[in-house]
Amino acid sequence: MKSPLRKRLPRELKSEIGKYLVVLILMIATIGFVSGFLVADGSMLKAYNEGFEKYKIEDGNFRVKKKITKSQRENIEKNGVTLYENFYLEEALDNGSTMRIFKNREEVNLVCLMEGKLPEKAGEMAIDRMYADNNGISVGDTLKSGSKEWKVTGFVALSDYSCLFQNNNDSMFDAVKFGVSIVTPEEFESLDQKKLQYSYSWVYDKAPKNEKQEKKMSEDLMEALGEEVTLESFVPQYLNQAITFTGDDMGSDRAMMTMLLYMIIVIIAFVFGITISNTIRKEAGVIGTLRASGYTRKELIGHYMALPVIVTLIGAVIGNILGYTALKNVCAGMYYGSYSLPTYVTVWNADAFWMTTVVPVLIMLVVNYGILRYKLRLSPLKFLRRDLSGSRRKRAVRLSPKLGIFHRFRLRVIFQNMSNYIVLFIGIIFANLLLFFGLLLPSVLSHYQQDIQSNMLAKYQYMLEVPVSAMSGNKLDSMLELLQFSYGTKTENEDAEAFSAYSLETLPSKYKTDEVILYGIKPDSKYIDADLEDGDGVYISSAYAEKFLLKSGDSITLKEKYEKTKYTFEVKGIYKYSGGICVFMPQEQLNDTFDLGNDYFSGYFSNSKIKDIDGKYIGSVLDLEALTKISRQLDVSMGNMMGMVNAFAIGIYMVVIYLLSKIIIEKNAQAISMTKILGYTNGEISRLYIWSTTIVVIICLLLSLPIEKAVMNVLFREMMLTSISGWIALWIDPKIYVEMFLIGIGTYAVVAILEYRRIKHVPMGEALKNVE
Amino acid sequence: MFLEIKGIKKSFGTGDSRVNVLKGLDLEIERGEFCVLLGPSGSGKSTLLNIIGGIDGADEGSITIDGEQLEDMTEKKLSLYRRKHLGYIFQMYNLIPNLTLRENIEVGAYLSDRPLDVDELMHTLGIYEHQNKLPNQLSGGQQQRTAIGRAIVKNPDILLCDEPTGALDYNTSKEILKLIETVNQKYGNTIVMVTHNDAIKDMADRVVKLRDGMIRKNYCNEHKLSASELEW
Repeated sequence: MKSPLRKRLPRELKSEIGKYLVVLILMIATIGFVSGFLVADGSMLKAYNEGFEKYKIEDGNFRVKKKITKSQRENIEKNGVTLYENFYLEEALDNGSTMRIFKNREEVNLVCLMEGKLPEKAGEMAIDRMYADNNGISVGDTLKSGSKEWKVTGFVALSDYSCLFQNNNDSMFDAVKFGVSIVTPEEFESLDQKKLQYSYSWVYDKAPKNEKQEKKMSEDLMEALGEEVTLESFVPQYLNQAITFTGDDMGSDRAMMTMLLYMIIVIIAFVFGITISNTIRKEAGVIGTLRASGYTRKELIGHYMALPVIVTLIGAVIGNILGYTALKNVCAGMYYGSYSLPTYVTVWNADAFWMTTVVPVLIMLVVNYGILRYKLRLSPLKFLRRDLSGSRRKRAVRLSPKLGIFHRFRLRVIFQNMSNYIVLFIGIIFANLLLFFGLLLPSVLSHYQQDIQSNMLAKYQYMLEVPVSAMSGNKLDSMLELLQFSYGTKTENEDAEAFSAYSLETLPSKYKTDEVILYGIKPDSKYIDADLEDGDGVYISSAYAEKFLLKSGDSITLKEKYEKTKYTFEVKGIYKYSGGICVFMPQEQLNDTFDLGNDYFSGYFSNSKIKDIDGKYIGSVLDLEALTKISRQLDVSMGNMMGMVNAFAIGIYMVVIYLLSKIIIEKNAQAISMTKILGYTNGEISRLYIWSTTIVVIICLLLSLPIEKAVMNVLFREMMLTSISGWIALWIDPKIYVEMFLIGIGTYAVVAILEYRRIKHVPMGEALKNVE
Repeated sequence: MFLEIKGIKKSFGTGDSRVNVLKGLDLEIERGEFCVLLGPSGSGKSTLLNIIGGIDGADEGSITIDGEQLEDMTEKKLSLYRRKHLGYIFQMYNLIPNLTLRENIEVGAYLSDRPLDVDELMHTLGIYEHQNKLPNQLSGGQQQRTAIGRAIVKNPDILLCDEPTGALDYNTSKEILKLIETVNQKYGNTIVMVTHNDAIKDMADRVVKLRDGMIRKNYCNEHKLSASELEW
């Protein structure tokens, strides 16, 4: 025969419908969101990984000055690769962005059509879907570049541009100011062929077995290429951020999302635990009678655990249904908001099921079982006598009678509900951390932009295009290149100050490898105010120092990008510059260290535009817009999410406070009723009970701030280390603390009003119940 | 007349399950009088006490205390009425569990403009040395003394006692009754006490016997005994 106690469950559910509904909604939202995220993440990651084969993504690409000859091609292909032309040219559009235009691809790096159709004739263009989103372009619109016009026929995802990095060295992609597109061959031929970039993709005839072999094969290929052609760039697939960044990033949020789910489930489990303790106290007589009648402890544990577990299970089922349907699209939308991913098919995700259904139920089972087992350890007689203290009776904390009775009353309420308040404190820390993150990012980004603006090395940094061949391969070519380069890049601009630059990278670690720009500065530079003349050390940018926690006197070791050569420098000082990870040293020292020749230089600092240098030698111009690319992209890809994070944080905060203060009022219902009978008004009773919680909430909010700041320091640093090259320092606008506090108080005020209504509705008859 | 009850009717439930608990009661009690309401279970004595205490409302009839009519009062006014005029003592003490003995009494003192001295009262009640204990550290008698202290510290006009000795043993019950008698004599409060214990009628000024929601007997005790003389 089934236990007749189960008949109580629907009645208990009905009588506490508010509590269970609130918890259920929070569970559905959390589980649904995390499930949606994991399903979207898993499905899209699968589509992304399968895309390498499906869309025949290249194993690497290189760019040369001139189209390679048939014999050069044959010689290169003898190295176990097949080459494919992937020429492109860039047009500056009238909307201020740069469009990289390809011919539609047929052999490698195939294109996924997302909307509309592919271009079929001249004057038509299919553009990257995300670039279109970010710039508000619809199918049918016209893009203009001077007198040239293209009709947008469709949106596409180029498989070798899942992340829109214009240059592989860029610290962040830019899907606002940079886009990719395809046109028909006849349209491509009609474009300005002087701008043509001879980019070739290669595919290994025999795919490398692992990353180590892939590195070796690419290094060998680079050497072989150096013998045949003058390389302008060389990017094997594993180093190509436009291809790999997305895959690396997609996995990285998984742990954070799972942690978010588990923390919320644990908080809810403890809220249930406290509720159960309260129920056991209320039902002590019933429990005593049942135990005395022969019900086992196990049966009662099962009975009291049933509802929390059922609610979790229902939450998990509904959450997962939403996760696989509506919320999956929301989460996929977040990825589509950052990356140019192809279409995907939703796939069953066993991990998601385990993490969002099995684990939450297990957490609920374990936490509640532990609490119930502890609470029900007493003998039936103790329950019948309502003596649930277990050990010796607690003595009252001494409070001075000089303290007013209201103050003492409130302190007693706080002492009585300490376990509730500890859970509340943890809940507040957790909710506030989310809120902190949501409020923080926009202000960090805007501060970063301001900081960069006020600490630019110069208004313009012209990086002259030093051919890759000057750094590797044929020595003669290298010398000639440098000679030509040196003569062709003179300027009459009085603001211009030449500098040398050389690019190295940080040693491999668990985080992203950073490109480090080494600047060789002239003596008495008017742009870099640092004591560099002694040559006994280098200055590093403040961004570098902050990212790698470096200080004066430390040593830094950097390596060549595609080689094993390492360089070690001693840090003489920190130079305030947050725009990049850089090193400053005397120009002579830099040229000498890298064997570049005494007269070598690779760019100009200038506070005015330089107009007398041949455009072909200007590789890039670092101005404010270029330097703020990271913050702009982070703002675009994460900005929309922040509102959702804030709403979620407020939701958690409200639910935890609501449930715990509800328990406090329920626990004290009889005392509240008694005070009413004595003649206390609802206002006075609220001052006793609600104010106690108010005081605790205020203290928790204030105490949680330094804890949250410390945790955020670690989390933000970790996030920046894993997700971006370069560095954005954590800057907390003091007004964020005020906002967090006010949002906390405002949210609590809503709960307090609900609690006031609850106090008002406590009947005086409660005190007349025969309860000891 | 200090307390005037006229035509009080009260019923619970609806339809077939409707029970008329009070069927039109009239009662008058003088200031300072010690009135005992006697009757079997279900006779309506606790309901009458709750109506006098303003924690339950009558369906019909009126209650006037010191010239103030209860049925005209809003909830807020009723709170003020209880605050100003009433002290309540229950069978199960109803102390606030997380407050010490002293603090429980101070909760009552807060409500009065001219409360009695808490220390002196605790001495009178014989619980001074336990003042820092929580209710669960006290015996039943000590808890009931504390409840009496809480009720009388504000020196109320009327002390309503609902089976104050119902949960206590014989000796403790007698001590509590002695205390209530002392309070009545010392502070001159009007006392209305509901009890099952027939012996208590002998220490009352007025005895009211109820059965089936009606007053069956209402008389003044000409030869009342002191609490210490009671036997049962």
